[in-house]
Amino acid sequence: MNIKKLTFKPWMGFILFGVLLGLIPSLAQYTNLVKTSTIVTIGGTLIFAIAALGLNILLGYSGLISLGTAGFMGMAAYLSAYMTVDLGLPFEVSLLVAILLPTILGVLVGLISLKIEGMYLAIATLAVSEILRKTFEEFEFITNGFSGKSARFPQLFGFLQLDRASMYYLIVIMLVIAMLLTYNMMNGQVGRAFNAMRGSESAASAMGVYSLKYRLIAFALATILASLAGVMYVHFIRFAYPSTWNLKLSLDFLAMIVIGGLRSIYGTVLGAFIVFAIPDLFLKQIPFFNQLSYVLNGVLIIVVIMFYPNGLINIGYDLKKIWLKIRKGVENVTK
Amino acid sequence: MLQNNELLKIENLSIAFGGLKAVDQLNFIIHEKEIFGLIGPNGAGKTTVFNCITQFYKPNHGNLYFKNIKDEVINLVDLQVHQVIRQGIVRTFQNVELIRELSIIDNVLIGAHIDFKTGLISQALRLPKAVKEEAIYREKAEGILKKLGIYERKDMLVFGQPYGILKKVELARTFMSDPKLIILDEPAAGLNDVETLQLARTIRQIRDEFNCSVLLVEHDMRLVMDVCDTICAINFGKFLAIGNAKDIQKNPLVQEAYLGKEDEDE
Ligand SMILES: Nc1ncnc2c1ncn2[C@@H]1O[C@H](COP(=O)(O)OP(=O)(O)OP(=O)(O)O)[C@@H](O)[C@H]1O
Ligand SMILES: [Mg+2]
Repeated sequence: MNIKKLTFKPWMGFILFGVLLGLIPSLAQYTNLVKTSTIVTIGGTLIFAIAALGLNILLGYSGLISLGTAGFMGMAAYLSAYMTVDLGLPFEVSLLVAILLPTILGVLVGLISLKIEGMYLAIATLAVSEILRKTFEEFEFITNGFSGKSARFPQLFGFLQLDRASMYYLIVIMLVIAMLLTYNMMNGQVGRAFNAMRGSESAASAMGVYSLKYRLIAFALATILASLAGVMYVHFIRFAYPSTWNLKLSLDFLAMIVIGGLRSIYGTVLGAFIVFAIPDLFLKQIPFFNQLSYVLNGVLIIVVIMFYPNGLINIGYDLKKIWLKIRKGVENVTK
Repeated sequence: MLQNNELLKIENLSIAFGGLKAVDQLNFIIHEKEIFGLIGPNGAGKTTVFNCITQFYKPNHGNLYFKNIKDEVINLVDLQVHQVIRQGIVRTFQNVELIRELSIIDNVLIGAHIDFKTGLISQALRLPKAVKEEAIYREKAEGILKKLGIYERKDMLVFGQPYGILKKVELARTFMSDPKLIILDEPAAGLNDVETLQLARTIRQIRDEFNCSVLLVEHDMRLVMDVCDTICAINFGKFLAIGNAKDIQKNPLVQEAYLGKEDEDE
């Protein structure tokens, strides 16, 4: 047999993945397999995956840690809610501004990263995030303080009013775009520069990688994705509380990329499902596990780091390898 | 400051760590298209000289005049580390510095970092010019890997490769930037005799093909004597002698510096 294979390009994979994600709500509508509340959970998971993708660029590729993801995401969420609800600005404008302002702050944090590294950078980014959270509590005229800020489903181009279902599609589209662009960047010159920065600072600088520039780019990209996630969140969940944007959430992002796979784009989404969707969809039903998702994440991280340092996404590849081996064995036997 | 065919002039180079004078008032000149060897016993300060040239260390004293790719004479001391390669100087490291999680070809492509013209956005969107640029350098990298005989391994991860291969990957990476001066820190370490012979041939080939100079540190004296046009010997950071292979072998100061070692060897 010699049928010429259609070359499968990575971008096709991302589109296909998006289509599959897009089919989930139809399943909910036409079958009883998926509940509406499940759509909210999955949509939320995909939103978190967008932010986690940013953290993967920062930590996975560039080797720069941040515990501030939650703070930046929250900042964008409040800004977009404030601009659309209180200022009556179009969604597109508020989307841009709500990404731009946190990104400027993120780049400033990137400047700090030139002076401090590792543990200390983790603490510094955590401090920034905690200051932001405190601000969410205090700046009531924007955030409505502890009572929480409400927002609406967005209206696109001034006339296309989205509802929960269509907002879900927007999230899927945003995630697929984020995955695609991240893939392209990380597999080109910029991604190699990030890898060099992480893998060998000496090699990076000897090859002309200007670490100031690339650290700032890494922080900017991470903050852009966290902010995009924040905007999607507030217009999908339609509510934001200060307590949402705490250290636990930042650690959850860390867990997602470590469990799913550092430097793996699909792994990031897998990690988001494991850390966020699975406890929410399944474990909550079991009373004993209800309070245990914390512990579960911790245990999972330890297990993954010990036995699967490249992340659970690689289970797929390994299973495939085993499968091919078995098939070969079977073929040999049948011969 | 530089005569006609001079490429790099090291003038009164000194650097000390605490009280230890690692390099002390060192002078030498490397000419265009010359293969120049820097030798000396362990701890003589050879790697430190390399680190001063490539600005990993800032010398305490001295000047490093270099005729860059635009034929302007500059003092390397005025540069930051990442700017050095743009002037036309590229190096390898004594303890191989590669990115373990990347494939061999991606590691080599890092050597072309400064040559990319397309920006982040073109790359993210895979605009035709970005795709084309990536393809051009990938092809160049493949050509270099073929020349070094490790093309078949191009898509393997660097992690887990034998030491000799790693040394070659690092060498391949230096060729990507079309340098005027390649600095090699013990390129033959970990190579067997056949590979060392091949390396000597490759070094000469590079010089002829890229029209560049090579500055190398090497403990394998056969390689040094075989391949170098000029050799400079140092000990305790100080200049001992300079000349061709014969001069150096005959030089009493050099013999004295190596004497203890040679006795052990034989
Ligand atoms: N960063 C540093 N801090 C302190 N001392 C240093 C540093 N770098 C080098 N030295 C010292 O300078 C001296 C010269 O070291 P260098 O590495 O240049 O020697 P070398 O000639 O390359 O030796 P080898 O052949 O073993 O590689 C040594 O005594 C070394 O301990
Ligand atoms: Mg050395």
